[in-house]
Amino acid sequence: MTELSTRQLTKSYGDRPALEPLTLTIESGAKVALVGHNGSGKTTLMKMAAGLLDPTGGNVQIGRHAAGTQEARRLLSWLSDMPTFYDDLSLWEHLEFVARLHGVTEWQDNAEDLLDQIGLTPRRDDIPTTFSRGLRQKAAITLAFIRPFKLMLVDEPFVGLDEPGKQALLRLFDAASSRGATLLIATHELTFVKQVGRLLALRDGELIYDGAPSDTDVHTLVLPT
Amino acid sequence: MSDTALEVLYDLRRRRKRHRLGDIEWFDAAYRVYLVALFGGGTVLWISSAIGDETVSAHAVADVARNGPALIGMITTLALLAGLRSGAQGGPLALEAPDVTYVMLSPVDRMRALLRPVTQRARSAASLGAAFGAIVGQLAGRRLPGTPVAWAASGAAFGIATALLWAGAALIAHAIRLPLWIATSLGLAGVAWQSAAFAWYLPGPANQFGSLAMWGWRQHPVDLATVLIAVIVLLVGVGMLQQTSLDALARRSSLVAQLRFAVTMQDLRTVILLRRQLNQEQTRGRPWLRVPRWITHPIARRGIASVARFPATRLVRMTAFAAMAGVLQAMVMRGTTPALIGTAFLLFILGLEVMEPLSQEVDQPDRTDSLPIDRGELLVRHLLAPAIALIPFAVVAAVSAVAVLGTSRAIVPAAILALPTALAGVAGGVVSIVRDAPDPTKNTQQTFVPPEMAGISSAMRVGLPILVSAIAASTILLVRHAERTGTSTTGAAVRGAIGATLLIFLVTYWVRRRDQWRRKFRQFMSDGQAYTKQQRSTS
Repeated sequence: MTELSTRQLTKSYGDRPALEPLTLTIESGAKVALVGHNGSGKTTLMKMAAGLLDPTGGNVQIGRHAAGTQEARRLLSWLSDMPTFYDDLSLWEHLEFVARLHGVTEWQDNAEDLLDQIGLTPRRDDIPTTFSRGLRQKAAITLAFIRPFKLMLVDEPFVGLDEPGKQALLRLFDAASSRGATLLIATHELTFVKQVGRLLALRDGELIYDGAPSDTDVHTLVLPT
Repeated sequence: MSDTALEVLYDLRRRRKRHRLGDIEWFDAAYRVYLVALFGGGTVLWISSAIGDETVSAHAVADVARNGPALIGMITTLALLAGLRSGAQGGPLALEAPDVTYVMLSPVDRMRALLRPVTQRARSAASLGAAFGAIVGQLAGRRLPGTPVAWAASGAAFGIATALLWAGAALIAHAIRLPLWIATSLGLAGVAWQSAAFAWYLPGPANQFGSLAMWGWRQHPVDLATVLIAVIVLLVGVGMLQQTSLDALARRSSLVAQLRFAVTMQDLRTVILLRRQLNQEQTRGRPWLRVPRWITHPIARRGIASVARFPATRLVRMTAFAAMAGVLQAMVMRGTTPALIGTAFLLFILGLEVMEPLSQEVDQPDRTDSLPIDRGELLVRHLLAPAIALIPFAVVAAVSAVAVLGTSRAIVPAAILALPTALAGVAGGVVSIVRDAPDPTKNTQQTFVPPEMAGISSAMRVGLPILVSAIAASTILLVRHAERTGTSTTGAAVRGAIGATLLIFLVTYWVRRRDQWRRKFRQFMSDGQAYTKQQRSTS
């Protein structure tokens, strides 16, 4: 079953094209890495899939639903590289809010487990807006995983993370994959790319590679023109 | 699941409201309300007394009856233009950034989740419209048939209807992703039609709205349809909330948070800057003109490069401000002294717009401190390019003033006064920019303002720049006095120009020396504290 599909998806900012027409399908349970130089269109693609950005042309489907619709939002978890938080809620209250918004009533055990894995248990009652860059990223990770999802879109998840944080995140990805979730991860961490089954590469908004990571030299894919 | 999610959302909002209410410093809030009431009420009373209570002539009453609805309706068409443009640029809603990430991306019913922000937006716009309409209405009621109370009520009703129309138009334009150029064209077409209605007594699109504002005098039941129309437009907009663009919400969320903070801090300069960003107003990639090679001074080159990149929208806005300032000065000449406030405010805003190179520089204290030039001198040199750029706007102001006065006798005084008045007027903006900028001389550990002075200091912060602009604008009073007493208006204009020039020099000198004075003052206070401490320890 297809979890994410795009058809002739394009995005332009004024006269400048950010994403050339892209047609793509990602099957359920796949773990896909998305690479490309800065400004290659990775975040634009992810945001359009998450329903955060209006396409200039074409469409995106999450499962059988148009991106941004209520059903699509139920299926999709979005982990941004620029996390935002309420400045009057603790991390624990954030977890409660996000979990319950997605209809999870028994969320406490999962929350404690996530905080433990990511190393944020001592900070659970603190306000995340006061956290450092790395801790904010960790907090965002817990919020992305506290809710059920079929597809997770992840943008630069390793930025600011320390080594234990990176390892914890990789374990969370593996666990999600083993549950059958689909992962699309945009990253500059080229060592991570070897751990996925499929690699997509964008250059100047164009898809220049779609295949197994082992069949290409990833370093050449991320070079700008 | 959706209803459950909504319950969770409502629960969160209730909880956060309790947090916020718990965090409010009630004494501080009450003091702010007191200040606003004091200054706002004082201004209204002053304007009321300036307008007077004597009833206008029968001829004037007939004139108001004939032109009033079309003229007042112009406000409605302008509000419609503003609403359409706001919606096309992603407005009128602005959520907190985490609301966009967590609430809007959850399977919650977006329309119901957005109902409260929409209600708040419409309510605040309606309150503002009602307050404005009521104030203007009671002023009208002093000179026109009908009681001030009835006029205030009808003014408020007009303000509410117009505000709701604005909000509804913005929501619809947003939902259907109306391109900005179409929104602007539609809005301008409405304004043009209404202008034609005013000029040639045609039926205008907003005449009924204007007529509603005159219910304090006479009542036409058909005018009530405008309220119904405004409510219907708003409801249609609400019905289209599902089509709200998250892209726009995400972009606006952080800017609006900063905007609210800037408003709280009475930082007008930042408010203007953020409003530009909210409207996606970007400087031109390709400048209107290249900096001539013969200009070699880096600060002059930098200033010209900045001014040459002003976007067309800003230039149009600045031209409109200058033209309106000219019109208001003409009104002052004709006897409406309170119009001076409008001129002062417009010149102040014009100053914030034109002084972009200075704004950009003062926002980077680390960089200015790293330059091998005294900061005060640097800032003064940054005034030159904007001052030159102001010349055409001064011409626009002079031309519009002369056009409104409709007499060739106004040409010479206007030509003499326009540039000095405009420059001195924008000096208010300069004061605001320099005062509100990050202060590199400030020691954050020290404060010499006692808490009981904080309110006055806060009022000064907002009031002083406007006062500078008001002093500049009031040079016109010399010319008016000369005209009334039959003395030379040209001589009066020259005296006014000299006064305005002195004000310009004064402000420039203040910009040049401010840092030094502040350092000396701080040193003096520190020495005093140290001395007092020493005296206490020895005794």
